[in-house]
Amino acid sequence: MSSVGILGEAARENSFVLLQIGHKRVALSAAQVAELAPPVRLHAFPHRTPLLAGVIVRRGRIVPVIDTEPVLGGKSPLSHRFYLIANRQVGGVNELAAIPVNGECELANGEMQPPAMDRPAYVAGTLAVGEDSLDVLNLDAFSTAKAGAEASR
Amino acid sequence: MTEAARFSSGASAQAALHRGRHTETVVLFIVANQMFAVAADSVHEIRSTDSIAGAAHEIEHPEVPKVRHTIERSGRTYYVVNAGMHFGLPVTRPSLVMILRQFRAALLVDRIDRMAEISRVHPLPHAFAGDERRWYRGLAYLDDSVIPVVAPRGFLTPREFQELDGVQREAAVQA
Repeated sequence: MSSVGILGEAARENSFVLLQIGHKRVALSAAQVAELAPPVRLHAFPHRTPLLAGVIVRRGRIVPVIDTEPVLGGKSPLSHRFYLIANRQVGGVNELAAIPVNGECELANGEMQPPAMDRPAYVAGTLAVGEDSLDVLNLDAFSTAKAGAEASR
Repeated sequence: MTEAARFSSGASAQAALHRGRHTETVVLFIVANQMFAVAADSVHEIRSTDSIAGAAHEIEHPEVPKVRHTIERSGRTYYVVNAGMHFGLPVTRPSLVMILRQFRAALLVDRIDRMAEISRVHPLPHAFAGDERRWYRGLAYLDDSVIPVVAPRGFLTPREFQELDGVQREAAVQA
């Protein structure tokens, strides 16, 4: 890999997309983000997996939609303005997942700090943005998160 | 020819024809306002609940509450699964019984929407990790809708079949 490539990789590692999910502002590693999609139709069908709202169809692919509300609180995912589509590991497989976001998304650079001991598994770390300290989401662990764990905090 | 018989023979032929063109014929059915698809060639016949009421026998097993009746067809006993209960949907009054071809199961559904051709069954995303992995073969994208394609084998587990067969044997002994 060229030195320019290495620099680019490092810059990407320190880049985060800041999201508004419900009333909560969180961050997600930019390296995971595939695209910001319009609020296309959510298709719901019976299932038994917690924290999944259904699926959307994007560019001919069926993408599961994470229901962030039980964990992060905020409004129903149906009130969102966009879907942020990101890569995550599920059962050892890389798969796209969509997160309903209802506010502006912006890019920020910074160094992620490790999470405090008491933070849930879906928090990969914290990112200082101005005077705020935002949780950086670990989407891979989101499926095992306990509903209501964060909403009540 | 009855509607059910016509469906049974016609659907299989149509399904076979379209398989060559990489499409699959499915029956779209509704349970509690939710649409599902099932491969047409896995359905033996469809009857109204009224028409088979006289041929149905009650069965009860506390671990399989979604099965309350059996029906006899062609010398085989079919366990009638309430699809609404199976999928955890709100209670409805099903009007049709869909008798499956390769399994000793029949399905209580609200209504048949139509038959359709699907070109592809998309695998269920790995994010879905619950019972739905057994329930569905995958997802079909049809007329701007994503429709779960049910796996006939998923309506009753081997263990549930064993439990129900046990009840049947006991009933036979008592009779």
